[in-house]
Amino acid sequence: MSVNISNRSFRPYTGEKARITRAYDYLILVLALFLFIGAFHLHFALTVGDWDFWVDWKDRQWWPLVTPLMGITFPAAVQAVMWEKFRLPMGATLCVTALLIGTWIARIFAYHYWNYFPINMVLPATMLPGALVLDAILMLSNSLTITAIFGGAAFALLFYPSNWPIIGMFHVPVEYGNAQLSIADLFGFEYIRTGMPEYLRIIERGTLRTYGQYATPLSAFCSALLCTLMYTLWWHIGKWFATVRYLNKI
Amino acid sequence: MKTLIIKCLMALGLVLSVYSFNVQPVMAHGEKALEPFIRMRTIQFYDVEWDKQKFNVNEQVSVSGKFHVAEDWPVSVPKPEASFLNISTPGPVLIRTERYLNGKPFMNSVALQPGGDYTFKIVLKGRLPGRYHIHPFFNLKDAGQVMGPGVWLEIAGASANFTNSVKTINGELVDMETYGLSNGILWHIFWGVLATAWLLWWVRRPLFIARYRMLQAGMEDELVTLNDRLIGKSILIGVPVLVLAANMMTVNQYPNTIPLQASLDQILPLSAQVNAGVVDVETLKAEYRIPNRAMMFTLKINNRSDKQIQIGEFSTANVHFLNKELHVPSQVGSESMTAPEGLSMDNTAPIQPGEQRTMTITATDALWESEKLDGLVRDADSRIGGLLFFYDEHLGERFISSITAAVIPKFN
Ligand SMILES: [Cu+2]
Repeated sequence: MSVNISNRSFRPYTGEKARITRAYDYLILVLALFLFIGAFHLHFALTVGDWDFWVDWKDRQWWPLVTPLMGITFPAAVQAVMWEKFRLPMGATLCVTALLIGTWIARIFAYHYWNYFPINMVLPATMLPGALVLDAILMLSNSLTITAIFGGAAFALLFYPSNWPIIGMFHVPVEYGNAQLSIADLFGFEYIRTGMPEYLRIIERGTLRTYGQYATPLSAFCSALLCTLMYTLWWHIGKWFATVRYLNKI
Repeated sequence: MKTLIIKCLMALGLVLSVYSFNVQPVMAHGEKALEPFIRMRTIQFYDVEWDKQKFNVNEQVSVSGKFHVAEDWPVSVPKPEASFLNISTPGPVLIRTERYLNGKPFMNSVALQPGGDYTFKIVLKGRLPGRYHIHPFFNLKDAGQVMGPGVWLEIAGASANFTNSVKTINGELVDMETYGLSNGILWHIFWGVLATAWLLWWVRRPLFIARYRMLQAGMEDELVTLNDRLIGKSILIGVPVLVLAANMMTVNQYPNTIPLQASLDQILPLSAQVNAGVVDVETLKAEYRIPNRAMMFTLKINNRSDKQIQIGEFSTANVHFLNKELHVPSQVGSESMTAPEGLSMDNTAPIQPGEQRTMTITATDALWESEKLDGLVRDADSRIGGLLFFYDEHLGERFISSITAAVIPKFN
């Protein structure tokens, strides 16, 4: 698809034409929103899953590694389409917003009303700050490479500090049953989950632990590196999936 | 527009179904799901009691009992290196406030030793009124859920009255039901508003068709204006600054936080309660007669106690076969799982002190079938395990043996 109209031949739409294209805009937007609420949310629930569901899974090592890595996928793909075809730098923010809408609906209805968990035990994480920065970098740089390297890294590095204000207070220690627990751990103990025994949590396992207190920054940098690659991969997936065939016919 | 709504509903339905898959409300909680040899030869529960079965919201209730970890642990089941004593409930209709193993409180998972004897106690507190079927059970890592006996609990009262406050190490009293909720919602709203503003900034202009055409026409510089770039730069600087500032504020507000705790509790078994070396039992043969639904054991018993003893009960996978000649107390609340006259023997005379006797006992009942234990004979591992209870003549003292044998089926 080459750009064969080199002169500035486009006049802004007016009248009826403007109204129709505007209606088309909204249709696409609403469809996209629901598609992302469904698809991104599904993807997220299946990959990040328990790390995002439960307060006692949001650890300092795996959670900041896995969440941005899986969270950057759809934003990258949607950015590829929205930027390359329309120069709209809002793909990441749109995706993450859709994800959060879906997540909140599920937490309130599926977890709270249907399965009786208190909502504070299943608060979702936010990736919106990272998404905003990702969109801004893409717009300012107009470059896949720069966005992948700096945007991907920022998306991963901003994740833990932007969520600490939400979950930090759940890490206040409690003396309980002759042991030291965080309030988050106590949620896991008190609010019974039949299919979720404590040992299933993936916490402080593997070689990252060698660095003890620095687990979180190390995880975040590791995630930043991987996010760069993940971003590039999903950018190409997004490009490959997208088609403007229908637009060309209008 | 109609199809759009349908699509939206479908998307929502899909999302909710994923969640329902992830958090199954466990009504039929799979008591019989595991293969019979796992239910009979891993955790052998006995003497399980609830202190009450009708109570109110906020009222405490406790379940206590004993279990023996079978010596003949199936080779196909990973050893119980991380086991979690749990309660099967349809969601947190009760909360677990205390839990003890051998009298010691424990919060995490624990390693159990095959052949070991343990007592347990779980204290719960009513949260949601209703009638629920509830079991204590063990989640065994990589093996599944081995159930203890189940009972019906009835919780009365109003859920609105439920309270659950906890004191932190700093002495602050916090309400677990709402702790951190408004703070979390506030942060989500804060970032949500910023994100929405950014989206609206773009959505207010003509979008897809117009922008696509303009891009094709080489009018790229009109698509992203100087103002856009200015806002982009302020996001690039402002958002990270906000994030780090909020993070610093939180760190200052909660300076003493701890990571999630992930240790395994260490609790050793009690001195031997089962197979304690007073009454020795060796199983010479086990035979299952399918048409009669009868399990026949040939046992070699050596009574090394100074009392005359009699067999009162055989129990496996929470099914109890009682010797009708001996009026032994049946396990509380397990009437539906008890065959009160299910145990018979070829020689009913008491076994004298010092006597060695070879005898056959037969456990007969339809429970073999209804509890899906008879599937054993068609399993790859068809060994049975269970507890044999001996009583002295006054039903005062009790000796327990854990027996095990390969089962030979008799098809007719
Ligand atoms: Cu049950």
